[in-house]
Amino acid sequence: MQSLLSSIRALAVRQHPGDALRCLHLTAVTEAARKGTREKARKKKVKVEVKKVGFIPHNQRDNKINVKRADKHVDDSWKQVPKDDVYVGRYYRWTVYSVAEAIQCHRETHHPSMYNVPNAPLNVEIELNMQGEKATRFVDNFQRMAMIPHKFAHGEERKIIVFTKGNNEIIEAREAGASLVGGVELIKDITAGELLLSDYQYFIAHPNILAELIALRGLMKRKFPNPKSETLGTNLAEMITKFSNGISYSASKDEYQQNFGLISACVGTLDMDGQQLEENIRYLLQDVDTMRPKREGRFINRVLLKSPPSSEQLKIDPFVYVPELWDKSTMKPKREPSGKKVEAEEQDQAVAQQASN
Amino acid sequence: MLKSISQLQVHFNLLKSATSLQQQVRTTFILKRKYDPLLHKTNENPRRMRAKNFIYELVEDTQVKKRPNMEVVLKTFVEGVGDKGDVVSLKPNFVYNKLLLPGLAAYKTPENIEKYAKTEAEKSTVQHSSAYAQRTVNMLESIVLAVVMNKDQPWVIEPWHIKASLRKAGFHCKDECITLPNERIEGPDLKKEGKDFYCTITINKLEQAKLKCRLHHWSTDPSERLPYVLEHWKIPSEPLLGVNLPSEKNV
Repeated sequence: MQSLLSSIRALAVRQHPGDALRCLHLTAVTEAARKGTREKARKKKVKVEVKKVGFIPHNQRDNKINVKRADKHVDDSWKQVPKDDVYVGRYYRWTVYSVAEAIQCHRETHHPSMYNVPNAPLNVEIELNMQGEKATRFVDNFQRMAMIPHKFAHGEERKIIVFTKGNNEIIEAREAGASLVGGVELIKDITAGELLLSDYQYFIAHPNILAELIALRGLMKRKFPNPKSETLGTNLAEMITKFSNGISYSASKDEYQQNFGLISACVGTLDMDGQQLEENIRYLLQDVDTMRPKREGRFINRVLLKSPPSSEQLKIDPFVYVPELWDKSTMKPKREPSGKKVEAEEQDQAVAQQASN
Repeated sequence: MLKSISQLQVHFNLLKSATSLQQQVRTTFILKRKYDPLLHKTNENPRRMRAKNFIYELVEDTQVKKRPNMEVVLKTFVEGVGDKGDVVSLKPNFVYNKLLLPGLAAYKTPENIEKYAKTEAEKSTVQHSSAYAQRTVNMLESIVLAVVMNKDQPWVIEPWHIKASLRKAGFHCKDECITLPNERIEGPDLKKEGKDFYCTITINKLEQAKLKCRLHHWSTDPSERLPYVLEHWKIPSEPLLGVNLPSEKNV
């Protein structure tokens, strides 16, 4: 009986040799699959390499890191408004001058009896809130040309090339003060390399030559005439006067504070008529205001008038000349064309890239 | 031995005088449970709370909360605060230490407002034009104003020169507030370099400050300029000869 039981047990316990073999991975297919999954898992792991930094002497360490910086947007609205006729400036809000008053103050300090620089340049510093539509987005640095009604010697050399076909327009452009005016033959000269585009700062074109001008797209790159930067249009004389007399300014964001932008531009000299200076400031501010992002709140935060060699900075109210807050109703009709222009610019860039490649 | 000590303590407590002044102590902390206890079934006792249910998060510390301003009535003129009878609203610490304790102000009650209101006689004899005028006077009298005039062009000092110089130094005023000395001060004259004269600044047509001005010569051409004097206001004063104080009659 016992022997029978043991033989049955032996039968039950003994494994079939085929089963044992099946447990081993022998086929190439399964092996490859395992290999792939392992690789994947290995790739998923991101190695964090800790770089060892040796000892840096204290005097060579970058002090700019971890420095607490004061907010560059000055807000003194918590201070009092002066009531006395003589007061200490630092305890009160900044005095807001009218442009005429501020110019008068600068003229006093530059009078022959004091600094004796009556023809000193009048500089405008515009402080911008560069925050874009979202809190994490910022307006890009921009460089623009503001047209001004009253010209002055800005001391820059501005060479302008004008491309146009019509004879009348060529004469018109010459009279307006373009340094070089030409048509198809000028384009050929440039493509042949006889004329260097880098000698000229501004390129203006009439739409009638646009088809031929495309050959120069790769050479001009971002300077290619386009209606957004007002370098392409039918009114050549106006564009030329704008580029020869206008105020060239650039807004740059602060290195450490992205939402603070500063524009410093010269709007004239102190010996100019006060009204003319005010007009120039008005046109400059209106030009800056066109870059306003589509969001609530102020874009221009503060405007200061300066005039070297005096270090005085006099605050003026910019909202006499431009709207203070963003108005949705006024912006809506403008939105569509601006969107199209952006597209056009993108296309321009794409074409320019292709050409450069 | 233990008993005796405890008895001693009792005696000490008995001997202690009761504090008559009960100081208000703000020790309220508003807390929030980090882990809420689980809900219990209806008509049953709540569950026993676990140790983690006693972990709290701080919501607010009332000790560091900014306290609202306090309103008081001034008993006299206080520089930088206000005139007699004015109801002023200031930070409670300042009010307590600088106004109530020295007896310069009283709590704002209808009785106090009536009591400390300015009488007609006091109104007619104005002593202070505004709360901050005296501070301005003190500051004007403490500075040495640099009056930078041209070294090459002829000039006579006029009130607007002082006005522009004051503006550069951070003081704002009007032409009519400035009274110059009766004598004409002309230049350029290098003998007058670094010499002082006084002019009077009248604030709100009432307070007068004696302003010390120091003449400096400046040339537009950098090579013509006089050597820079570091911290000229620390150099002892030398009066400008033949120039007196502005007379009182003009004021």
